Amino acid sequence: MTTIAITGPGSAADGLPVAPRALAFTARAAVPWLYLAPVLLILAVWVYLPLIEAFQLSFYKWNMLPTAPKTFVGLENYQRLMTLPDMRRALWNTLFYILGLLPLSVVLPLAVAILTQDLAGPLRNVYRTLIFLPMIVAPVVAAILWRWLLNEDHGLVNHALSGLGFDKIGFLIDRDYALGTLVWITGWKLIGFSTLLFSAANAGINRSYVEAARMDGASAWQIIRDIRLPLLSPTILLITMMTILFGAQWSFVYINVLTNGGPLKSTTNVFFLLWEYGFETLAAGLSSAAGMIVFTGFALIAFICLKLMRRYSFHDN
Amino acid sequence: MNRRSILKQITALAAATAFWPVAAHAEMAASVDEPVTITFYNYNLAAANAGADATREMIAEFEAQNPNIKVEALPVVVSDIFTRIQADIVAGQQPDVAQLPFRDLIYLATDIGANALEDMVPEAELKAHLSSLIPQGLELGRYDGKTYGLAYTFSTPILYYNADLFRAAGLDPDKPPRTWDEVEAAGIAISQKTGKHGFFPGAYGPVDGTFVYQAIIMSNGGNVRDGNRVTFGEGEAAEAVVKLRQMVDNGAHARIDLGSHADTMASGNLGMFLYTSALMASLQKSAKDKFDLRVAAMPGFGDKPTKPTNSGSALFTFSKDPVKQRAAYELLKFLTSKYAYTVITSKIGYLPLRTDILDDPQYLGEWVKQNPMIQPNLEQLDRLTANVAFPGPDYRQVERIMMDGVREAIFGKDDPLEVLAIAQEQAQALMPQD
Repeated sequence: MTTIAITGPGSAADGLPVAPRALAFTARAAVPWLYLAPVLLILAVWVYLPLIEAFQLSFYKWNMLPTAPKTFVGLENYQRLMTLPDMRRALWNTLFYILGLLPLSVVLPLAVAILTQDLAGPLRNVYRTLIFLPMIVAPVVAAILWRWLLNEDHGLVNHALSGLGFDKIGFLIDRDYALGTLVWITGWKLIGFSTLLFSAANAGINRSYVEAARMDGASAWQIIRDIRLPLLSPTILLITMMTILFGAQWSFVYINVLTNGGPLKSTTNVFFLLWEYGFETLAAGLSSAAGMIVFTGFALIAFICLKLMRRYSFHDN
Repeated sequence: MNRRSILKQITALAAATAFWPVAAHAEMAASVDEPVTITFYNYNLAAANAGADATREMIAEFEAQNPNIKVEALPVVVSDIFTRIQADIVAGQQPDVAQLPFRDLIYLATDIGANALEDMVPEAELKAHLSSLIPQGLELGRYDGKTYGLAYTFSTPILYYNADLFRAAGLDPDKPPRTWDEVEAAGIAISQKTGKHGFFPGAYGPVDGTFVYQAIIMSNGGNVRDGNRVTFGEGEAAEAVVKLRQMVDNGAHARIDLGSHADTMASGNLGMFLYTSALMASLQKSAKDKFDLRVAAMPGFGDKPTKPTNSGSALFTFSKDPVKQRAAYELLKFLTSKYAYTVITSKIGYLPLRTDILDDPQYLGEWVKQNPMIQPNLEQLDRLTANVAFPGPDYRQVERIMMDGVREAIFGKDDPLEVLAIAQEQAQALMPQD
């Protein structure tokens, strides 16, 4: 990587004598590469090399011990993933996580940001602090608090439910509820973050547009629909894309602390599965193969998202 | 041979010697004459219960008696301790002593380079120490005729029960259930009459390992494997699981959070709890002045004698340096001494691996008289059956597939026998070929 960066395009090979002008040109062309070198190096070492290594590993069977031999198994890891029900279920669950998170990371924060925009002084800050608070709670602490709140025997939530005359719900034990519960906890942590971004974008909208529309007699809803939402569209698309690409990853901590993928794998997702294969059962090959599938899938989705973003986001000049 | 291939061989050789015991009979130093620090990976220290305090107490006492040896104790959660050691060895940080569960025994001996005590310690010295320990216990840490793990803390599953809930359900707390049919009846009575949970075994959670599950199926005459053939999905092993499923379906066996069963028991919401005796001290503390906690032997299937398997751990040494090996061995000896087992049994609840202290008033004599609750565990010691570990490089995947299958069979909606048969087939594909 560094050699490319230093010689760069336009360098003279073959040891031919170089004209002074060409040399000056080479030096100038090399400067941007020099600036980029540290970043490129870090990217190569931490992203691309591991990626290539994972790709290689996905064709081997290996338990991550230096003394154990790596056995080449061809496509066997991929075949096993296709036949085992684990991967299929994890993929479906991942989709559910993403779809479930979107309302919590996009719709709700957007509404909160727009509605609190016109609140007066201290009230707005109090309100926003309350919304923002979950974000700064450490994830493991949040997970444990929710475990207590949702406990079937002595949790506050079930206490309230039975007080209202409902049956108790095993939020983390019943497989019909567990996935929804984890989506909620992950989303609850995200609301603050998204609201912050939306509020900032919303505050950045030039007030003269809004005033002009008001003078033309636009209603509050019309202002939101025709002025605010189009101008917020880059942020909306960004957060939507982030949720799609990273949402399921953000749930990892809660899966790990609260359910371990259970009950009966109802809350597992591809990222938890990767970790389970790799670091719980030490199956590096299988984990890498699953990783490659996930990587390819999400690379495709990211590509499509970026295209859509370019096409549909509206930028104020 | 060109230069590159020679270089390759040298690096390969260097890598090999770095990870394998250097020579089979490199004996340790005779004594520790200069200050030395050894690391001790311990999982009791990582738990927020009585085990951590007792372990700290023992290490402090050891350092006081051996001023030249400093023990750097690292608390690591039981479910992570093996991967942690593997990672540290790969990173070149050789651990000296580690407390590890038995499930990784074969792998530790063949691939991780744990020292065999027979190769490290002079024969007479080793014999002198081992002869005072229980042979069934020592057997658990042996592989291929050599002692890689010195059995340390261990226990068998015992049935904790809440006598108050028994009374409330109209049951006689002085006659705890002895068979699974009786557990079933009591479980139904408790859940119907008190609204609390009937029965739950600590067999399915992330830190539970497989020992309670193995104890249940072995007591019915089943086993998880026969040589290189997995057998958990057939015969008596499957039959025992079907019994548990039936108890889930009729409400005797609770459906609670697999990871917080002990909290449910401690808070008085569970009638019967089958789990390691290592929790005895902690549960007694929680139950004090709140409910009447009692213990009984683990239940059996009809008249068949139960086969309690062990949970718990052995001490493994990895030191390559002769002086550190001596220091490590001194620690091993100390932690299995009369003094240590007095602390381990009375303050944590594990079984003493030496029976010579049970009647000795200087050690456990008085305590055993005052604490009749240790009796079921002591009685089970005679029938102690070794926990079965899986062989081959994929042993952890096999274990995972088995436990996933068991959970699905017991808590799922499908036919348990079918679920187990499918899991067995998947697991078999990962076993070593004969």
